[in-house]
Amino acid sequence: MIRSATPKLAAYAGLSAIGLLAALVVARPELVALTAPFLLALAAGLALATPPRFDVEVALDRRRVLEGDTVTARVTLTAAGPVDRLDLYVRLPPGVTLEQGGNPVSLTLGSGERRELEFEVRAARWGGHVLGPIYLRARDPLGLLVWERAAPMRPELRAYPREDALRRVLQPVETQVFSGNEVARAKGEGIEFADIRPWAAGDSLRRVNWRASARRSALRGELWVNESHPERNTDVILFVDSFAEAQLDGRSTLDLAVRATAALADSYIGRRDRVGLIGFGGILRWLVPGTGLVQLYRIVDALLDTQIVLSYYWRQIDVIPRRTLPPNAFVIALSPLLDPRSVGALLDLRARGIDLAVIDVSPLPFTRRPTGGLDAIAHDIWALRRGALRHRLRRAGVAVSEWETSAPLQNVLEEVRAFRRYARHARV
Amino acid sequence: MITGVGALAALVAAVAYAVAAAGRLEPVSLGLGAVSVALLVVGLAVRLAGTIPWALLLAAAAYLAGIQGRDAVDGWAAAIGVALLLAAELASWSIGHDARIRSERALIVRRAATLAALAAAALFVNFMLLAAAAVTAAAGVVVAAVGVAAAVAAVAIVLRLVRA
Repeated sequence: MIRSATPKLAAYAGLSAIGLLAALVVARPELVALTAPFLLALAAGLALATPPRFDVEVALDRRRVLEGDTVTARVTLTAAGPVDRLDLYVRLPPGVTLEQGGNPVSLTLGSGERRELEFEVRAARWGGHVLGPIYLRARDPLGLLVWERAAPMRPELRAYPREDALRRVLQPVETQVFSGNEVARAKGEGIEFADIRPWAAGDSLRRVNWRASARRSALRGELWVNESHPERNTDVILFVDSFAEAQLDGRSTLDLAVRATAALADSYIGRRDRVGLIGFGGILRWLVPGTGLVQLYRIVDALLDTQIVLSYYWRQIDVIPRRTLPPNAFVIALSPLLDPRSVGALLDLRARGIDLAVIDVSPLPFTRRPTGGLDAIAHDIWALRRGALRHRLRRAGVAVSEWETSAPLQNVLEEVRAFRRYARHARV
Repeated sequence: MITGVGALAALVAAVAYAVAAAGRLEPVSLGLGAVSVALLVVGLAVRLAGTIPWALLLAAAAYLAGIQGRDAVDGWAAAIGVALLLAAELASWSIGHDARIRSERALIVRRAATLAALAAAALFVNFMLLAAAAVTAAAGVVVAAVGVAAAVAAVAIVLRLVRA
C-alpha cells in the first residue's frame, strides 16, 4: 500500500512549531497551552498509526445475466490487524448501476475480523462488463496518514441482450441442400404441392394424382404425378454495422441493432437454418455459418464484444473471409447508414448478386432537431439525404426498411417482406 | 452539517472569550477574531481545508492580543487550546465528509469517541502544564515547553505500547 501524509499532518506540525516559537518570543506560557493539544494530536496519531493489513476479495453470484437483471456482488475483507477507517469503492463500468447497498462505503475493522459486504448491481445494458478495480483507502484514527491501493481482481459480468419474440422472419430467395423449415423454390421430395407432370419411369405410385390422371387419360391415356417443393434450410448472415452509431440518453442505434441481431439469430436457428455473423466496423468480426444452440451462444457472445471503434481505414467487403459468405446466403444488414464505408459495402454485396435486406436502424430518434436557423435546415437536409440513400439501395434491388425506435422489430420485418414480395427485383 | 456547526461554535467560543478578556487591545482582538471566524465559514462553505490553519492562527492571535498586558497566567488557556483543537478536528471532519460514501454507524461513534478522548487528554495535559507554569513562573516558558514536550512524548509512548 502507498502511504502518504495528509494535509492535516503538515498543518498541525506547522501550527505546533509556530505556537511554540511564538511562546518563546513573547514569553507567554498560554501559547504553549494553545499548542499542546495539537502536539498531543500529532503524537497520538503517529503513535497509533500502523500500516493496515487486510485481504480483499470480490465475487459475483452470477457471471451471466440477461440485460436488466440484478446480480449480487460480495466483497470479503479479512483483517490481520486493526483498520481504524477504511474507505472502499468498487468501480462500476458504464452499463452497470448500483441497485442496493453502499458503494463507496466507509467502515472499521477489528484485528482478525472478517467482513462481507454485499451490494446489488443491475446490468442496465448488454455487454461484457468488467467490475473493478477496488479502490481502498485506510487512515489512522486521527487521519494524519493515508494508505491507498487498488485491488487487482476484476470479475467479469456478461449481460446478454433481451430478445424480441419474432413470429415470422424473412424468407431467403434461395435455399440450401439440407432439410429445414423453408419451402424451396426447386421441386423435389417434400410436402408442399408444386405442380403436376406426366408420369416417368421411377416415379412412385404414391405420387400419382389419380384425379388429374382420370381427367387427362381420356385425352392422352397417361398417368400424372404430383410434384412438390422440398423443405430446406437456409444460410442467413447477420451483418452488423459497427462503424458509427447515434446515442441519446444512454441508448444507441448499436443497442437496437445488437438486440435485433440476437432476436433474428434465435429465430433462424430455431428454424434449423445456418446463421453466421459479420461485425463490420473499426474491428472486423465474423462467425462462419452454423446451426444449433451452441452457434446461438457463439453469436450472442460475439455480439457482446461489439463496440464502436473509431477507424479511418477504408474497409471494403473484400476483407470478409470467403467462407463467411457462402453461395446463396441471405444477408440481413442492420445499419444506421451513417458511414459511407458500410453503405459502400452493402452496395458491393448487392452488386455481387447476394440476396440482401437492410434494416436501417434510424438515428433520427437519437437526435434533437434544432428549433430553427441553419442548424434546423441542415438537420432536415440530412434527413432527406438519408431518404435518398435508402432510395438508392432500393433501386439496386435491396429491400430497405427504416426502423424507428418506437416500432417493434416485427413491423420492420413485415415491411421488408412486403418489399421483397411485391417489388420488382432490379438486375444490377 | 453538525460537525461544521460544532467547529464554528468551538472557534466562536474561543474568539468570544478572547474579546471578552481583552483590555485596551479589544478592537485588535475583535478584528482578528472576526476574520478568523469568517475564514472558517468560507472554508466550510466551499470545502477548502487550507483555510483551517489560518483561521486557527488568527484566533490564537486574537487570544494573544486579548491577554496582552496581564501578569498572571490565564488558566482558561487550557480550554481555549482544546476549543481550537476541536474546531480544527470538526472542521476537517466536515470538509472531508463525502455524502456519496456511506459510513457505518460504528465508525462514526468510534471517531467521535476518539475525538472526545483526545480533547479530554489535551485538557488534562493543558491543566497540568498551566499549573506547573503558575507554580514555577520564575522558571519561564522554556521549562514549560520542555514539560509539554515530555508530557506529549509520554502519552505517545503509552499509546504506542497499547497499540502494539
